[in-house]
Amino acid sequence: MPNHRRNLANRCNALKSTGPRSASGKRASSQNSRKHGLNSAPDFESSLEYQALVDLIAEEGFSGFACADITAGLLNYRRVMDAYYDTYISPEPVDEFLRDANVKASNPIFRELLSPSGSEPQDVREMAAFFASLQRQERRKGGPVSRRSAGTHKLIRYQRNAIARLSRAVRQG
Amino acid sequence: MLYNVHFGIYVDVAMPVEDNSKSLLPFLSSPKLLPNESESEFQSGLQSLLSELDNPSPLAVALVSQLNESLWWIKRHTVDKELLLHEAMARLLAKAGNHWDTYDNHKVSEALERYLNGSADKDEAAWIDEILAESKLILPDLRVRAFKDAAKHIKMVDDLIHRQHQTMRHLQRSIDSIGYKSRLIKRMDLELAALESKQSVKEVSSLDAKPS
Repeated sequence: MPNHRRNLANRCNALKSTGPRSASGKRASSQNSRKHGLNSAPDFESSLEYQALVDLIAEEGFSGFACADITAGLLNYRRVMDAYYDTYISPEPVDEFLRDANVKASNPIFRELLSPSGSEPQDVREMAAFFASLQRQERRKGGPVSRRSAGTHKLIRYQRNAIARLSRAVRQG
Repeated sequence: MLYNVHFGIYVDVAMPVEDNSKSLLPFLSSPKLLPNESESEFQSGLQSLLSELDNPSPLAVALVSQLNESLWWIKRHTVDKELLLHEAMARLLAKAGNHWDTYDNHKVSEALERYLNGSADKDEAAWIDEILAESKLILPDLRVRAFKDAAKHIKMVDDLIHRQHQTMRHLQRSIDSIGYKSRLIKRMDLELAALESKQSVKEVSSLDAKPS
């Protein structure tokens, strides 16, 4: 089977999927939309570094509360910057097949794939329109550099909050 | 010796902190470099920032390290702005004159990158010239069109650079406040010592003045 046809067949079949059925499959797919994990509440106090950092900062003459605040601020800032780096180096991959596919030329293949179910030409048109919209979305996202810029841009607010928290803790300490 | 926080190895770089065992950096995750980036350049930037501080405290060193990372991100994003333009230029060229299905975007992109760097061979350069001629464009026109095409993403990168500038401002203020705090503590210690010595002189003189 030619590559283009096989890819289209796979995608058509995937559209018929109703999602995971097993508990482990559901558990795994529940994490599909997880991007960077920065919305989850971190527990710095139970980490190994926390106490060591608090002790070192206390030596600089900060109060106990200030030390805890500065340490949490530093660890939180590093957490955000690590997520920033990870997002930057692994942007959403470009779907080259979808981006470069000629949807109009694929109509006979759609017809062939859908005909066993006794489908009407209307189904073929809908399928082609659906693929065309997916393709437009894919092209709008641009190449790898555009994608990584868009990905890291989403983390701006986390960075802003993290640095404000750290700066406030140091200046008020 | 300085603990190299990026690769977990020790390198011979003078550290302006008196005691390495008091450094906060080993307890913090380290800024990471991309495979094509120069570690020595990153380190020299950090050292030049640290050398501007007089006797920096471990917290100040940790903050300066974050500041250096922000500077590094600005560099990366500035390069990305140019790459975004190249990406858009390649996209426009690949679909020039309705040739979206004829030209492979990936191939055009690679050839154009070499063409712009001046490292393209004769055939590649001729190919790019041919596509430009087909689409009735010259390179500056293509660049202008690409800028328009990639404006949304270029604006995003500008936002990212602006955010790094804001972060640096926050870090600078924090470092200043640490310096001010340590100077204030030193000054108060000196004043306290002066008061104590005055007090002891007073006590001695009052003891001397007491009639036996």
